[in-house]
Amino acid sequence: MTSDLASVHDELRTVARDVLGAVRTRTAGSVPAPVEWSVLAELGWLGLEVPEHCAGAGASLGEVAVILQEMGRAATSSSYLGSVVLGVGALNLLGAARERDELLHGIATGGLRVAVVVPTAQAEVASAETPFRVESSGGRFRLDGQASFVPDAIDADRFLVLARDQSGDVVMVVLGRATPGLSVSEQPLLDATRRFGQLRADAVEGAQSALLRFEADPATSVQHLADRGALAIACDSLGLAEAMMEATAAYARVRYQFGRPIGSFQAVKHACADMLVQIEVSRELVGAAIDAMVRNDPDLGIAVSMAKAHVTGAAVGIVGKAMQLHGGIGYTWESGIHTYLKRALLNRSLFGSPRAHRKRLARRYLSVGTNEIAGSRALS
Amino acid sequence: MGVSEEEYVNFQKAWFQELRHAGYAVPHWPREWGGGLTVGQQMVLYQELAAHDAPRLTLAFVAIHHAASTLLAAGTDEQRRRHLPAILDGEIWCQGFSEPEAGSDLASLRTSARRKGDVYVVNGQKLWASGANHADWCLLLARTDPDAPKRHGISYFLMDMHAPGVDVRPIRQATGQSHFCEMFLTDVIIPASQLVGRENAGWQIAQTTLGAERGMVMLELAERLGNAGFKWLLQACVRPTPDGERPIDDSLVADRLAGFETEITALRFLCRRLVERNDEGRGGPADASVVKLYYSELLQRMMGFGADVSGLAAHAELEKPLSSGWESGAWVLDFIGSWEWTIPAGTSEIQRNIIGERGLGLPREPGVQ
Repeated sequence: MTSDLASVHDELRTVARDVLGAVRTRTAGSVPAPVEWSVLAELGWLGLEVPEHCAGAGASLGEVAVILQEMGRAATSSSYLGSVVLGVGALNLLGAARERDELLHGIATGGLRVAVVVPTAQAEVASAETPFRVESSGGRFRLDGQASFVPDAIDADRFLVLARDQSGDVVMVVLGRATPGLSVSEQPLLDATRRFGQLRADAVEGAQSALLRFEADPATSVQHLADRGALAIACDSLGLAEAMMEATAAYARVRYQFGRPIGSFQAVKHACADMLVQIEVSRELVGAAIDAMVRNDPDLGIAVSMAKAHVTGAAVGIVGKAMQLHGGIGYTWESGIHTYLKRALLNRSLFGSPRAHRKRLARRYLSVGTNEIAGSRALS
Repeated sequence: MGVSEEEYVNFQKAWFQELRHAGYAVPHWPREWGGGLTVGQQMVLYQELAAHDAPRLTLAFVAIHHAASTLLAAGTDEQRRRHLPAILDGEIWCQGFSEPEAGSDLASLRTSARRKGDVYVVNGQKLWASGANHADWCLLLARTDPDAPKRHGISYFLMDMHAPGVDVRPIRQATGQSHFCEMFLTDVIIPASQLVGRENAGWQIAQTTLGAERGMVMLELAERLGNAGFKWLLQACVRPTPDGERPIDDSLVADRLAGFETEITALRFLCRRLVERNDEGRGGPADASVVKLYYSELLQRMMGFGADVSGLAAHAELEKPLSSGWESGAWVLDFIGSWEWTIPAGTSEIQRNIIGERGLGLPREPGVQ
């Protein structure tokens, strides 16, 4: 990273920490209030990756990642995952089209929120079943299918549904909220900082112009989008783990038992030290995956799987340890640590479990003896 | 027995000279003393050496790292002129820090150095001096003021290992090898000109020079773990066991392996980042401990896994190649040898104390000075 970019990131991080931290402080303990969408729009965070001709900043995932990490740190409630990570990400994978540019413009300026219906439970989606089918004839399409665990579906104005067409390719169908045959319902989860929905399309019909195609190979594009989701979640987990480490170290410095701060006991100190080591390690994996994504490295999937597998797993361990080291108060609703634990646990499951991502990595080992392991040099 | 100790020493000395003439023996030294590669160039060098599983400079290790960094940071011009060129010519060094009653609590060391005119007279016992049986010189910590608070009464000396009164005995370690020695020092005379820095300032000097070269050394070890180490582990997993099955076809094995690859990748990035950070003067107070701890424990877990998947066959590997990295493919011995990382140079427990205290600002334990 150039030092110019590093200082841009530092500045962005400082602002994000202030703004999101203030929202967090107002709602500590209880179910967090969402950060206002108009604030995110004014700060320019919605259009970071939107091209400049669509009212965006033309920046990269590197900048979005800074925001994501800070949102994890503050356990921010927002539709950023649906509209920015997945929405802008998916739209940027399409070929140029007026519809696409209008949607990007709408997101960047804060007037439009979208939800992308993409598999959120798997690491590898290219060969997965697509739960939606779309059939076209005579300038019209018909869409059927249903999906659960759709991020930010409740607040979305438009739905970008990935569906398989007659020829077997995945395409994107853009639907308005009030489309006849489309039903959306909230899917309450234990993590109250995020909102997911279920979506069902029964013989939804529309004009062919609402059916958009990926610029590159559709299967690769869908996988790219899932990798983007996985990486965004890893960023979030890194941020929330940092927050929990800092909170725990701060508590261990001031909480006295047996006449001394508990942080002076090795049992506590060593657990905190392990948090710091895990965070340093996690930061490297997340950083490497962001770089790979920004460069569009052919092996970016490997870097993403490493980050997703390790960081989301480590974050659960760190938050769990934070709860333990806070003692009784840590287990209370009021302390708010449960908020982080639930978010960390959801993160671990979203876009493929650590096990699923390691399975993806391990597939490269089966050809050993004949070939170099794909990606191992690229990462070095 | 693979090769004799003598062959090992001869090989190490010859390999050192070969690297020296190529300009790669002491790349981290300042240019005027024979080094001068940039940090970036050193990274490339160590990555290449690791990728080719080149023998490590184990015998010259203390000389080119600890002795050199001490002399450069705190030595006199005369001391530098006397020793730095000699190190290039093959002078071997060891470190006389630990004692039977001063391990993790190093500052409680008792070996005494009493000033008599322009010499010091040294008496005491040192332990865990790696390579002392081959060493020409020793970096010695000894107490010069028994009445001062313990960290303030220690001085740093350069001790000639051939001086009368120095008695070295190898200690056989868990692997059966003898990397370590104990040293008995009886009325050893050290000229005052071989004091490093001020009298009673030895603790500070030891603290500042101990971690000085750790970044690049760790980078090299991480690269080795990522190249030879992981490759061998993978090979152990794809080799059919006596029942005809390959460990890799077991999803639990594949899962562990993917986890190790991920952790090694992170370690390599981390080492590079810390070297760069340090080079830019932005090093963190716990950086060296973070890397030492993570490397040691990852090495131990990986070697333990290698010993597990390679089954009985690994128990018949009775020797690991000398000059090899910590990972050699003789998994049981590699695993046993991994405690040589989690115990010396600050145990993992001490590293966690340092990380907690310097990295997170946690209070020291009461009673620890």
